[in-house]
Amino acid sequence: MSHLFILAEGSNAALVTFTIYTLAVFGIAALSNQLLKSKSFMSEYFLGSRGLGVWAFALTFAATSSSGGSFTGFPAKIYTHGWVLALWIGSYMVVPICTMGLIGKRLNQVARASGAITIPDVLRDRFNSARFGLLTVVLIVFFMSFNLVAQFKAGALILKVLLNDVEIFKSFSLSVAEWTSGVGFFGSDSQYLVCLLFFGVAVIAYTTYGGFHAVVWTDVMQGVVMVVGVLILLPLAINAVGGLDRATQEMSKMTPPMRGYGVVQLDDSTSEIAQLDKEDWLKMSDGDSMRVFRVASSKTIEPGTSMVYGVELLEITTPSEVERILAGETPSEFVDGATVTRFSDPDARYGKAVLPAGKDKGALEPYTNIPIDGDEDQRVITTVTRVVFPSDEMVTIPIEIRPSRLTTEPLSEARAVVNVSTKSVKYASGADTPGVYVSGPGPSATDSVGFLSLSVAISFFFMWAISGSGQPSNMVRLMAFKDAMTLRRAIFTVALYYTCIYVPLVFIFCCARVLVPGMEAEPDRIMPEIALYLTSGIGAAWLGGLLIAAPFAAVMSTVDSFLLMISSAMVRDIYQRNINPNASEGTIKKLSYLCTLIVGSAAMIVAINPPDFLQDIIVYVGSGLAACFLAPVVFLLYWPRSNVHGSVIGMLAGFSAHFSMYATGAFVNDSFFRPYRLLDFDPIIIGLFVSFTVTYLATLATPAPSQELVRKYFYRKVKADSQA
Amino acid sequence: MEPSSNSSSEEFELDPVFLNSRREAYVIFGIWFLCMIWAVPVSYMMGYGREIVPGNVPTVFGMPTWIFWGIVCPWLAADVFTTWLCFRFIKNDDLGVAPEELAEAGDAGNETATGESVAKEGV
Repeated sequence: MSHLFILAEGSNAALVTFTIYTLAVFGIAALSNQLLKSKSFMSEYFLGSRGLGVWAFALTFAATSSSGGSFTGFPAKIYTHGWVLALWIGSYMVVPICTMGLIGKRLNQVARASGAITIPDVLRDRFNSARFGLLTVVLIVFFMSFNLVAQFKAGALILKVLLNDVEIFKSFSLSVAEWTSGVGFFGSDSQYLVCLLFFGVAVIAYTTYGGFHAVVWTDVMQGVVMVVGVLILLPLAINAVGGLDRATQEMSKMTPPMRGYGVVQLDDSTSEIAQLDKEDWLKMSDGDSMRVFRVASSKTIEPGTSMVYGVELLEITTPSEVERILAGETPSEFVDGATVTRFSDPDARYGKAVLPAGKDKGALEPYTNIPIDGDEDQRVITTVTRVVFPSDEMVTIPIEIRPSRLTTEPLSEARAVVNVSTKSVKYASGADTPGVYVSGPGPSATDSVGFLSLSVAISFFFMWAISGSGQPSNMVRLMAFKDAMTLRRAIFTVALYYTCIYVPLVFIFCCARVLVPGMEAEPDRIMPEIALYLTSGIGAAWLGGLLIAAPFAAVMSTVDSFLLMISSAMVRDIYQRNINPNASEGTIKKLSYLCTLIVGSAAMIVAINPPDFLQDIIVYVGSGLAACFLAPVVFLLYWPRSNVHGSVIGMLAGFSAHFSMYATGAFVNDSFFRPYRLLDFDPIIIGLFVSFTVTYLATLATPAPSQELVRKYFYRKVKADSQA
Repeated sequence: MEPSSNSSSEEFELDPVFLNSRREAYVIFGIWFLCMIWAVPVSYMMGYGREIVPGNVPTVFGMPTWIFWGIVCPWLAADVFTTWLCFRFIKNDDLGVAPEELAEAGDAGNETATGESVAKEGV
């Protein structure tokens, strides 16, 4: 009960934090709007008048680069795979100097020389080619739109976690559920819908009203929230676990959990238990010992039921962890009156199967064996719940599947399986192996070579440091700093900032693995979970609220930047530069507001029914943008011979090579978001290699640029006195 | 491609901002490469495929030894390099003035500063 109290207290603190936070954001937008009145609208709205100082530039750069993934996906990965995540994120040691230093100063100079406000502006003016400018606009809008929807979804999901136990939020969500019932478009998750609406309206409003400076100043605030949160959590986590060495030694004893289906028996069929909630704890007696499970997916219990079939469970397999959980040393409360009586065979796979429409209505009892039609290994699937099916519809059922047919067990005459999707009950790599959490390549539920093979580790060194340099959202910030001194100081600041964020995050969530077991059921919740757990230990749940605002801040700072990039591409690069070059400032102003509003609203509406694969979309977009933009931009900045033909061909080649890896993955791995890895390298490596090579060769094979352009960007007039 | 002069007898030289930026980019790329060939091989040799005795993992400051030597050490070294680059190596070049900055400062006088005209001034 104490744990529930802690969560409730923390959630109210989260609500207060969120409210203060939102008010501050709107205050900043109002201040920024004042600035718009005294400066050139276009330059101020989209580029902050090229006047960013050290702190603003450093923190907006850092906050935009650290999307929600840094505070949700990354902690979840540390928790799931252990210490090897330090190597996965290792290239952040050079991310600031690479992403800001490789092209920053030169890009800023070229943008000033041409008067460019956007990245398409730079490319267009550098080569004096309107068509090239339009091509880059198309690519930016294509990639950024995907990412915007994904980030809206991430923001809504984080807010949902933040407000999970707040009463007013729950009751409002119920009301929304009633209003939207019967309208399929709004989906079935009213809490997500409410969060999306809050998040979307807040971000769209302050971005539209305040423009670039609002985005930058909120980024600064968000950046401070993030680093302060991490630096407070670090000593709390190490202290709670009894020292970092103890955390490492405990982790070395751990083995990955098993996941599968179980049967839960209730002590009394008239029990008041109406539902087994996700993350509820359950026990199972096994001779003299006790096994410990966590519910991995909520399960509703029908009235009068004493046996609950098909409950998706996660079994804790580390003996020392089980002992600590049973001894009450962890925040784990068991459900009274419910015990697990059966759990998956460790050698089985579990998942879902689709049965075809049959001729008769009927039902399959739990643990009925069905032959798989046409399966060469003659395996059988086993139902884990009672399945009732109509005669004329396909039905999807949870199942287990055995490695080979168990001939001693009776087989149903019923139905052939038309499609099966399963995962191993045990981890594909690292199962039953102590030490996997403190060594490479780390355990993996799905990949038999482990989480981070050598080639993937090399890929990630490219991914973060090099592809980060090729992100248009980063590049546009490099056009906004005031002078070279600002850049130098900002690189230093961001280097310290990342050192204070990413190294401590690895330490914190290795400690979290020991402190809060069984979070593999929903690892994305580990950040708020550990924040509330640690701060309640020192009687400061309000601090927990502040800490769990950090991931929310991270997503907000990424969304606002992307939103502004898309609208700037439309207003500046399409309308002003191609349709109406003489448009008045008033017209541009109205159009900019309108465009930001429309793009944001459209992304929010699409995010009501967002695609799955959130993190995969973010990775696809980030690596795709780098494959398209990095080579042309590097060459245009540093190679006087570079020309529009080579840049266009290289850009399209990078896009195609990167896309083809994903398209091949759709055939080879049955999913677009599980790309084909040529020579086991990530598509970003292939895309960058092709893009740089093709740009170089195509440039040499096509005519040199005009002398006028080369002089404009690479030479300067020699002063008369210096000649003398 | 090396226009040191043209028909109107104007003299040009390579822009020092371009030269400095390119030199700095080479060094930065070199640092990235050094960090990679430190972090990845050291982590791989010390941290992959080793037999682990549960509860008795060699550590430095509480973290596994391979994390300290393979990640934390190069990370600190990279921070030192970055500091040196920022305060000793990267030049404090003049990046020029954008058209709208000129217009706002009133330096352009009565002349309307277009991107093209200002760019030509900067050449």
